[in-house]
Amino acid sequence: MSSCLFILDELLEPLISKNTKPVRNLPDIIKSFKESWTPTSPPIITVSNWHYVYVKRDALWFVAAIHYMDEKCMNLMMILFYLDQLYYLLKNYFKKELLTKLLIIDNALLVTELMDESIDFGIIQMTDPSIIRDYIRVKINNSIATGNNSNDDSDDSDTESASSKKNAKSLGSYMPSANNLTNLWKGYSTKDETLNENVNNDNFENNDDETYINSHIARTTTMAVSWRTKGIYYAKNEFFLDVVESVQYLMNFKDKVIRRNLIHGQIKCKSYLSGMPTLRIALNKILQDDKQFLGHAKFHQCVSLNSINIKDLEKDLEGPNDISNKNFVNKKEIEFIPPDGEFVLCQYELRRHVKDPPVINMTSFDIKPNFKKFRVQISLKIETHFKRQNSTSLMTIKIPLLQLFNDYKIDLSKQPRFKSDVGKVLFNISEDFLIWEIDALKGGHGENEKGMVAEFFLFNQEEYDRLQEEAKISMNPPPLRNGPKLEELYEEMHENEDAEDTALKMKTQYVFMQFEIPYSTCSGLKVEYLKIEEDLLKYQSFPWVRYKTLNDDEYAFIV
Amino acid sequence: MSDQRIFTRYRASEIGVDLQNSESKKLKNNVLGRKTALRKIIANLTLGNVNEMSYLLPEILKYWQIEDDYEVKRICHEYIRKLGPSKPKNVQEALPYILNDLKSKNQKLQILSLKTLVVVPSPEFFNEAFEFVSQTLNRLSTVKDELTKEAIYCISVLDEADHDRVLPLIDTLMDIIENESKEPSFIVAALNVVCIISERNTNMSNMTVRVDIAIDILEMLPTLNEWEKAFVMECFTGKVVPQTHMESTNIIQLVIPQLQHGNTSVALNTLRFIFYLLNYVEFTTEELSIKLSSSIIALLNKPPELEFLILRNIILLLLSRENSILNLDVSYFFVEYNDPIYIKDTKLECLYLLANEVTLPLILEELEQYATDIHIQMSRKAIRAIGNLAVKLNKESADKCVECLLDLLEFGVDYVIQETISVFRNILRKYPDRYRNNIDILVNCIDYIQESEAKNAMIWILTNYSDSMHNCLEIFKVFSSNIKDETLEVQFSILNSSIKFLMRYGTKESESICMEVLKCCTEEIDNPDLRSRAYMYWRLLTLLQTKDNHMTNETVLDIIDGDLPVIELNTKLDPLILQELELNIGSIASIYLKPVSQIFRLNRPKLLISSPVLNPDHDSLKIIKSNSTYDEFGNESKNLDNQRMDRRSHEMVSTNSTMNAIMEDYDKPAETINQLKGNMKSSSTRQSRLSRKPSQLLRRLTKKNHSNELIIHFLSGNGCLMFFHI
Repeated sequence: MSSCLFILDELLEPLISKNTKPVRNLPDIIKSFKESWTPTSPPIITVSNWHYVYVKRDALWFVAAIHYMDEKCMNLMMILFYLDQLYYLLKNYFKKELLTKLLIIDNALLVTELMDESIDFGIIQMTDPSIIRDYIRVKINNSIATGNNSNDDSDDSDTESASSKKNAKSLGSYMPSANNLTNLWKGYSTKDETLNENVNNDNFENNDDETYINSHIARTTTMAVSWRTKGIYYAKNEFFLDVVESVQYLMNFKDKVIRRNLIHGQIKCKSYLSGMPTLRIALNKILQDDKQFLGHAKFHQCVSLNSINIKDLEKDLEGPNDISNKNFVNKKEIEFIPPDGEFVLCQYELRRHVKDPPVINMTSFDIKPNFKKFRVQISLKIETHFKRQNSTSLMTIKIPLLQLFNDYKIDLSKQPRFKSDVGKVLFNISEDFLIWEIDALKGGHGENEKGMVAEFFLFNQEEYDRLQEEAKISMNPPPLRNGPKLEELYEEMHENEDAEDTALKMKTQYVFMQFEIPYSTCSGLKVEYLKIEEDLLKYQSFPWVRYKTLNDDEYAFIV
Repeated sequence: MSDQRIFTRYRASEIGVDLQNSESKKLKNNVLGRKTALRKIIANLTLGNVNEMSYLLPEILKYWQIEDDYEVKRICHEYIRKLGPSKPKNVQEALPYILNDLKSKNQKLQILSLKTLVVVPSPEFFNEAFEFVSQTLNRLSTVKDELTKEAIYCISVLDEADHDRVLPLIDTLMDIIENESKEPSFIVAALNVVCIISERNTNMSNMTVRVDIAIDILEMLPTLNEWEKAFVMECFTGKVVPQTHMESTNIIQLVIPQLQHGNTSVALNTLRFIFYLLNYVEFTTEELSIKLSSSIIALLNKPPELEFLILRNIILLLLSRENSILNLDVSYFFVEYNDPIYIKDTKLECLYLLANEVTLPLILEELEQYATDIHIQMSRKAIRAIGNLAVKLNKESADKCVECLLDLLEFGVDYVIQETISVFRNILRKYPDRYRNNIDILVNCIDYIQESEAKNAMIWILTNYSDSMHNCLEIFKVFSSNIKDETLEVQFSILNSSIKFLMRYGTKESESICMEVLKCCTEEIDNPDLRSRAYMYWRLLTLLQTKDNHMTNETVLDIIDGDLPVIELNTKLDPLILQELELNIGSIASIYLKPVSQIFRLNRPKLLISSPVLNPDHDSLKIIKSNSTYDEFGNESKNLDNQRMDRRSHEMVSTNSTMNAIMEDYDKPAETINQLKGNMKSSSTRQSRLSRKPSQLLRRLTKKNHSNELIIHFLSGNGCLMFFHI
């Protein structure tokens, strides 16, 4: 597969390099990548006998270099997906939202070990975080600790020892990588401990159990269920299942053309179950044989995909007139042995019908100038289309003003006025938009309509001249003004703006919406039942199921 | 505990001091100090400070001996791995330590040492590794653990070093594959290694997997880890040869669920496997085609890098399956404003390929939007695509495209206009008379034109439609008067056109222009090509004036102003190439749409292995409705015999038709410009069709001003995606 792997920082300098085959001169290889990369390059570049495959995540670059003689037509998809998964693996292992350069540098050895574990001789082995986490138990070196010794000088032997003292101290405060698991390992049968004598040579007593390795794990990777180790034990057996759907919706409001109306769904699970449980989940979509769902859903590796497709197989073999089919209809469920900890069970993408109203719909958007009164009004109305008993837990609407400020001469010395049926309206002066914060909005089917109006004053030349004139003649000092001087602020913010830049932004004026609706799924997906069976332990278990509908990054109306 | 200080360049002596210091201190602290120093070494090796760090080998060896800590061991191994490939002699001393680790009881350490052994390219290391691997394989029947698996995978690397020595081990591996009693992951490992080896060594006979074994392995799929599944699918493609229709449909049924796997590479490999198997079926069901299509669409919802690869493969599939099994909705390929550029490009190509009479209005609407995009490159490509669609599709569709282009002209931005004019030339080549009325509009835009390509196009249009314009010579003068400042291409065009005008009209005005141009080309401009062409024309004209030759006006006119062949866009690739590309879905070949032999020269091309059910022609694959019952199947199969006959006759026809194809030069690299001589559509190119045929997908035909000269470009701007030199 791939001969060498690299992790680069944003300047394309290597942080980690790794060769799985006899490859000379790794630094030179990556140098030529740096030289040939351009911002428009596709994720595969070929330069003088080397193919570079890269994935960019969080300002880090994950690069695999393959010599053209190495592999006939190496499977790019595997490499790309591996790099992608490596990123998730690291993120998951470090328990961080973002991977940073510092984190990688501090844990360089750990990263190479993780790579070592996930790829053997260039052949990808496994990337499942939950299993690797059990396999490699090295302390994560959090960069918080770096503050401690950054001022030390390494040449001086006295400070050296001092810094190591500090280090030793700060070690105690390190977050254990798998908090909840730690205790469980301790409780786990001591018999196995004798088997794995050697790995346990840890220097820090306080972290002894951290590096303890379940002897089953070494064998897990060669066993049938490779994603779950034997001998997991929890005092309370819980299983959390979250159905999260994010709605992507893009409509051109002017000509009422819906450009996008999609649902991206995920079923996320957290499993804290003992032993080797088998779970059965029935989804209404699968029971109803929803063609679209079945076609567009992708499942985690633990799911035995045959269980979902039983009926299809039977039908093909025996023909439709068979009575036994009815039994199979009921049997269509997702059957799986879950990996330990967090994982994404299923991902799906559904298209909504064009006529299905969006979850939150914008019914009107107007800019009404009133030149007589020197005012301009922006009004916006929205309505909801989801179950009445639900309501949003978070709801904000971003209304662009750039167009308005360009088309009209707005006088900000007079305070703009905002009015809304619910929530409050905020004015972001630096980036030219209004934010309408609603938070809780009740559901409904079109009848729950809410609106807001914002009023800006237009520049009144006559009045301005008159006031200037008066100020000149009058002996009185100019009237005092309360509140912020918006016009000055605005000037300040916008003085450095590029005219072309604004022209670019003007082309795309979006009303963005952000919302979160708990307890409902936009697609109507429902978990009919969730059965947890563990034949040996027969414990009581607690399944939890939650639903949530979110906006996608792209939930907007082009105005 | 560490920080960025570790990640700076050090001298060997500095680290040496660090290490010595850590020794003298009390036990508790020196461990950390030493580790920090060791880490510095690794960081320096990553930074490329290899020479300096190689001095530290003795230190490393010292700690190797005395340290039991796993982390220190790891650092030592890492050191050897980084240093070994470039200085195999230096690390020789470390061999006993590595072997010591290899013999230890700790499996993790053993694996670590095996990996290190393999990385150093020296015979001693190789011998040890080989010895160890063969030992492990020998006790395979008793011991089954992680180490054994590693040993199996290790063979693939050993093979690179010494193929002949590894050969006997392959029999053992084949044993593992065929003997089902072993654990699934071993079988996959063995299968994988055998595949890799057999594909790397072209002298080995082609490896195939028996169908029954394949089915056995596929039945264990649910017990395999995700990557193992992906490898199984990969290995089987091209290796399992079903002998009957039933066999292949059975296998397809077995693997279909894997299309829904969350791991993209499993899904894509499965897709490829199914497409491969579809070569060995007599008919397929509509249900399958729906499943395939929807799983492809579902794959698109991925991070951009992965999406890019999927899109490239969709292009490939669209090219190879003309009566496509795939039924993709165009709207999935609409460009989004936040797509990276490479995705936008690729989506554009997909849209182009998906366009047909039905989808055209929708696609045109989109393309028109992109054409007015803020991004200039994107906008140009969109216009180019519209133009190409006009040439590719039928007359009615061309009308729509032209209408759209004329709308764009009114948009009034210079690059849009220039691009539109360049594109219009191709449309006029295809339909010389259909859009005669619109020429005026084009000519009116002459003031916007600055780029040489647009100028070329404009000059060509002026020349070809001069009869419908009263003042064409006047306009032409604008160009001819500053011939000196133009680029070479435009200079050629001006020269050609001036001669054409002279020959057509023979007026004073045209003569003076022509003479001026000829003079300028021969005397003032230094380019030898231009000069010799000008001389050629000059002689031709002189010949005409001498009385005693057989040249008539007509013959000369025929030479320089002959009828041009009608252009056609041919998006078809050679079937053999397509077959090979289809076997390489998801590989690098699919990115460049070039056969593997061009990217990796030493590899043998993958070809379909023949079998009684092999169906070489994709177009004749019959898709039956899913609701057909068993009885219909019977009828179906009767029909199929006829079908097969049809197919054969169809083949005959198709070979004939390729003989008559207008463009036969598509097997030459696009950059070595093809000179397509009018009637020389020879079949001589067929001989080399296996070896080198780049995609002529989205190839844009540009008629260079002179007759019978075609230059072939690619739609994708800089062309970086479409063709590549190794």
